[in-house]
Amino acid sequence: MALEDFRADAMRCTRCAYCKWIPFDLIKSARFSRGCPSIEAGKFHSYSAGGRLVTALSLMDERSTVTEKVKDSVFKCNLCGQCDVSCKMCRYDMEPLEAMRELRATLVRDGHTLPQLDSVIGHLRSDFNMVGQAIENRGDWAKELQVKDLSKEKAEFAFHAGCRYSFDGELAHVTRLCVQILQRAGVDFGIFGKKEQCCAGRAFDMGYRDDFLASARSNLKAWRRAGVRTVITPCAECFHTFSRKYTARAGSEIKVIHMVQLVDQLVKNDTLKFTKPVNLRVTYHDPCHLGRQGEPYVPWDGKEKKIFGQAVCYEPPRPRYNGAFGVYRPPRDVLKAIPGVEVVEMERTQEAAWCCGAGGGAREAYPEFARATAIERLEEARSTGADAIVSACPWCVRNFRDANGANRTRLEVFDIMELVGQAL
Amino acid sequence: MCGIESSTERSVLQLGLGEINVDTKKQALTAIVGAEHVIDDPVILESYATDCSCARKRQPWFVVCPITAAQVHAIVMWANRTKTPLIPVSSGPPHFHGDTVPSVPEGVIVDLRRMKAIKRIDRRNRMAVIEPGVTYAEVEPALAKEGLRICHPLLPRSNKSVVASLLERQPTLIPRFNYSLPEPLRTCGVVWGSGEVAFTGEAGNGPMDLELQWKRGIAQVDPKGPNSTDLMRLLTGAQGSMGIVIWASVKCELIPSAHKYVFVPGERLEDLTEFCHKLERIRLGDEVLVVNAAQLATILSPQHGSPEGLKASLPAWTVVIGLAGAALFPEERVRVQETDLKRLVQQCGLTLLKGLPKVTAREVVQTFERCSGEPYFKFRAKGACEDIFFLTTLDKVPQFTSTVFSIAERLQYATSAIGFYVQPQHHGVSQHVEFNFPFDPSDSEEAAIVKRIHEEASAALISSGAYFSRPYGSWAGMVYSRDVSSTHVLRTAKRIVDPNNVMNPGKLCF
Amino acid sequence: MSKHVPREAYRAIEDVVGPDNISDDPAFLDSYAFQWLAELVRGNRSHYMPRPWAVVLPGSTEEVAAVTKVCNRYGIKIKPISTGWYHWAAPLRDNDPTVQFDLRRMDKIIEIDEKNMYAVVEPYVICAQLQAEVMKRGLNLNIIGAGCSTSIVASACAYFGGGPASYYMGNNSDNLLGQEWVTPTGEIIRTGSLGSGCGWFCGEGPGPSPRGVTRGVLGSRGGLGTYTKCAIKLSPWQGPPVLEPKGPLPGYRLPIPDNFRVYTIGAPDWDSWANCYYRIYDNGIGYIFHRQFNLAGADLAPALWLTYIDPKKTLNDVESTVKDPEIQKITEEARISFQFIMQGNSIEDIQLQDKILDEILRQTGCYKIKRFCEPDMAEFTNMYMQRLGHKHCNFIWAGGYMGSWMQPGTPDFVKNYVPLAIDGFRRDQKSHKLVECGGDAMMGCGSTIGGGGLFGLEQFVSYDPNDNDSIDACVKHMEDAIRDTTAHQIPPGKEFLYLQIGWTDEKIWDDLARMPQQFVLHFQRKVKEAFDPNCLGDRNYPWLPEGWGQGQE
Repeated sequence: MALEDFRADAMRCTRCAYCKWIPFDLIKSARFSRGCPSIEAGKFHSYSAGGRLVTALSLMDERSTVTEKVKDSVFKCNLCGQCDVSCKMCRYDMEPLEAMRELRATLVRDGHTLPQLDSVIGHLRSDFNMVGQAIENRGDWAKELQVKDLSKEKAEFAFHAGCRYSFDGELAHVTRLCVQILQRAGVDFGIFGKKEQCCAGRAFDMGYRDDFLASARSNLKAWRRAGVRTVITPCAECFHTFSRKYTARAGSEIKVIHMVQLVDQLVKNDTLKFTKPVNLRVTYHDPCHLGRQGEPYVPWDGKEKKIFGQAVCYEPPRPRYNGAFGVYRPPRDVLKAIPGVEVVEMERTQEAAWCCGAGGGAREAYPEFARATAIERLEEARSTGADAIVSACPWCVRNFRDANGANRTRLEVFDIMELVGQAL
Repeated sequence: MCGIESSTERSVLQLGLGEINVDTKKQALTAIVGAEHVIDDPVILESYATDCSCARKRQPWFVVCPITAAQVHAIVMWANRTKTPLIPVSSGPPHFHGDTVPSVPEGVIVDLRRMKAIKRIDRRNRMAVIEPGVTYAEVEPALAKEGLRICHPLLPRSNKSVVASLLERQPTLIPRFNYSLPEPLRTCGVVWGSGEVAFTGEAGNGPMDLELQWKRGIAQVDPKGPNSTDLMRLLTGAQGSMGIVIWASVKCELIPSAHKYVFVPGERLEDLTEFCHKLERIRLGDEVLVVNAAQLATILSPQHGSPEGLKASLPAWTVVIGLAGAALFPEERVRVQETDLKRLVQQCGLTLLKGLPKVTAREVVQTFERCSGEPYFKFRAKGACEDIFFLTTLDKVPQFTSTVFSIAERLQYATSAIGFYVQPQHHGVSQHVEFNFPFDPSDSEEAAIVKRIHEEASAALISSGAYFSRPYGSWAGMVYSRDVSSTHVLRTAKRIVDPNNVMNPGKLCF
Repeated sequence: MSKHVPREAYRAIEDVVGPDNISDDPAFLDSYAFQWLAELVRGNRSHYMPRPWAVVLPGSTEEVAAVTKVCNRYGIKIKPISTGWYHWAAPLRDNDPTVQFDLRRMDKIIEIDEKNMYAVVEPYVICAQLQAEVMKRGLNLNIIGAGCSTSIVASACAYFGGGPASYYMGNNSDNLLGQEWVTPTGEIIRTGSLGSGCGWFCGEGPGPSPRGVTRGVLGSRGGLGTYTKCAIKLSPWQGPPVLEPKGPLPGYRLPIPDNFRVYTIGAPDWDSWANCYYRIYDNGIGYIFHRQFNLAGADLAPALWLTYIDPKKTLNDVESTVKDPEIQKITEEARISFQFIMQGNSIEDIQLQDKILDEILRQTGCYKIKRFCEPDMAEFTNMYMQRLGHKHCNFIWAGGYMGSWMQPGTPDFVKNYVPLAIDGFRRDQKSHKLVECGGDAMMGCGSTIGGGGLFGLEQFVSYDPNDNDSIDACVKHMEDAIRDTTAHQIPPGKEFLYLQIGWTDEKIWDDLARMPQQFVLHFQRKVKEAFDPNCLGDRNYPWLPEGWGQGQE
């Protein structure tokens, strides 16, 4: 793919500004109507998906060059995909999210990078993680656990913790709990422990395609060697990366399950029983990569065609990826199954969820922006009257906890697996 | 353009200007309208020199009565050449607010009462096109033949010009049809003070010939424009200071075939406010107005002698609601509205009266449907009446009422005599609030008290936020001194359309 | 050659708004120059209107006024934009430095007066936001035809203001109450009751209404200063306080409360259609009244919309769906159709309205279109029409659409030009460079004026903005439409307004000078001289130079 492949998208953008808002049908208040953290921070139109399409066009047409401002507008974005959902409410021919990813990749390829992101990628290359931690500490969470080592043994399932769950001390118990659940369920699985490598999905989003591919190939090779056919992960970003990016970009045929999907199945077939009440009113935050970007991958290799003279469609029909079929129900069903938990919904929910602020390299490059984005979401959570916000992604949890600071919103932040653990 | 007759113009031009004096002016006007329509009889001139307001008496030099748009145009052109002030009048007397009394010397009254053509009644589009001299008493029977009516104000005088009433933005009785304050006025043909002729709104897109427009299916429905200016809105509330309207298109409604009135009484005005908010919000009913006992008695009194006799039997405050059904299933419409109304009345802890003591249902319907009989209803109590009226929001009505009543009381005017009337407008967003002070014109002391009430209450109301959107007479100074930017805009518009300030100079901020 | 503006001007503006709120980065400027419809009027089918000299984000009326004064000092043109859609929102002149005011920082709902039924808003409050807030209070607002993503201030003060609910709620020109206007000289003018210090509730007066100078059929579209606040009249809402649509997207469905009815109504011919409209007006029933779905083209509309509500389908499916005999039957049934929503104060009220509607249909030979009245489509229609959040579907076929015709008039007037518009569009589709949806892709309100009586139908000409041949075909259609209207003595339609953006001043004046009445254009010239002596506004506020057109007719 190249940026030129998205010229049509740019030319067909009508500057309707839908990309700045959640789907209008879902707006329940003025306060929580906005969908795009980037333009809320950046304000100029270039900070929206539509604006970036014009930036792409302007660069391709050599009407402008990459300046620091342009870089800021391109990289100060979580690539959360809300714009994509809203645009596709009415359009079958636009791929704004993919276009923005391509724009980033183009900038990176041409050497227009941010030093903060270069540093993160440098660490990916040296230590195979994107959280700036030493490689030798990666498997520490699994010490004292009796689990197959997939670097030496084979198993049908691989449990992939992901960088955040591997290194974040506050979440290590979650990672261990996941393993315990898998063991209780009798799943034939293993882990790579210290040898686990980053999914590099974030590298892709940051624009470092080659690094992503390198990680992808390495992971795929490792799984093949271990006889793995399905990867289970508790991290939403890894889930999306393996199920969508690896399949689309690296030819993966590996099945992918998010831990919350598995827990949901286990609860529904009585393998797991919640016996202890957790008396909490919670609101569930849909992680972008599990929700609207968590739709199943549909292989497609086709091209544009026209029907009825000029109506644009594709041969074969192109999958929509508009957020309609993301993983929304399982986490909610899990929460509702926990005795004592009352689930209240935020206004911007499911495909319209406001981003946590962590993704796309924004947390690394623009910590203030990431924090402000998280605070917005925490305030929305608080407005529901909930005691806690729960998510199924460690990046969301981490970003919320960091933004929460000294409990500024008086809200607790939980990983969904923490509540699962409390209930078992 | 607009059927202007060049011979008329030629006649005027042939006279030349030369010395301008009374005689040459009379000659020039005679050449335009004919001798019998140029009046300089002192008795008649005296009748235009004053009105029921406190406007300073000033006699015009002539009253001229054109009958065609071409004559109006010629008069305005002449006025520009001779710098003669023109004061347009289209209703018969009495006049009330000083807008028809010349404010400067050497004025000429342009009395449009001869322009009485009902140019078109279009049942399908529910539009009527009328000239400025057409009165409510004249237009209503004509419309009735087509099953149509015009929303009209409360008991208009039978000689009240429909066009004048609409241009003055007099409030009409049916809020649910009141999509904007100028409704039901739509488009106009106007001779501006400059002498230029224009059509406003949809009519302004041309051609400049109504017959041709009708042939092309244009019904003069849209009041906006033309283009990026709302010319009609520069004419409303203008007291004839921008131009002379030579025709107007007016939106009509269907005559209901089922119609009844019900009443919601209250001991205090405040008791009715919440109910009125709810009622007006859901646009229930046709006629909706709030009156006090004095006002209601005055309105209903023709059948019952003096209002005093009726007043005692009426509630202190009443919301009068007309329930009407037109077109399909009229009786059922009335029944459903009444059911919904009952529910609403109950929710508000009020009562619904199906009638009033001493007044039959038929009398009520006829009263509100028709023009005022003689004498004009406001004069029934004592022979004369002074008014204060303004716009505000419903929640502020009690506070302003209290202000007026306490000033009246302090000045020793019998507050039980004050007529109070609130007319919801613009679907209830704004309220026309009106206080009528009847007085005996032969009682100079009472007249002086009423004058003082008018001055003091007006000042107090303006300074506490009552919006005098129609600033007649002394109100103008008070209003425009507080609103510099409107003054600037209006003077700019005036300079454009009436560069020689011939149109009713001295009014408003001009 | 572009006029030179000294760097001091930039710094002066920066001093007012802060360095984060002004930019002259070329790529940023291009995001404002890039506008839908630019390709129809610009050389080489460029999608870019002229680039602004700088983009400025003011945060308050005072900042707007202050920056405007700076622009006066340096002779920089001004062009405000809020939600910004259509090429006329961009600067109009090449080589004429223009500050584009992006008003997105002015996004507050200042006040909702529930009892007195109005709201006061800044320019970046969009209809969807205000609707969500006022519905909680049992109120609603007229959302214009361009949809709920649009600015209320823009539609009420500076543009047109008609929408599907205007029939019941009024056009936003009539719903406009007090407003705040920063003139091109930087003066702040407040109109109506606001100017008198009496609050926001009344747009008229004092005396004649100053707001008569600020807008007519259209507002000044950014060509005569900046509107920074307005109050808008609200209307009753008898539905739930919060809309709870059911998914999945894109065809969200809104359950229909017992006191509402949602129908798609068909007519056997245009005479019956017009008669039906007149009867509806006479009977005063209805809440939302619009010919919406037909934007896709009468030949394709049912197939498209029934595809759209299925989340698993794509436009590819329309090709097969349209051949389905059942769908073909519905297509014929719905060929002349419109959407109609009624709201009742009570169950009895809505039942009566239903009865009245049934009788109207019987009398006029019109009918409810069964498939579109089934729960899935009816609930989708309800969602679509109540929130009007799918207006980007205007572009659903190919990414470009241009609306031609749409001359406003009575139903009889519109009925007379519809066949011409249909024939013309069918003819122009033969090039295969426009979406071939049949000749009738006309969409429009039941009435753009409260109480009924006036509207226009707009031909939805879908073209591919990525294909120069398609763009050319669209422009040819526009020119053909102008010729068709001229030949039949019908006033020019929307296509004329769009094309004008690309014309020279002289060509525009030449055209305007031939209008039957030029008075208002000279009036506007004088208004401009008074309020914009340095000519910082553009020709979105039209005028005729002195001596042009006068004395004709």
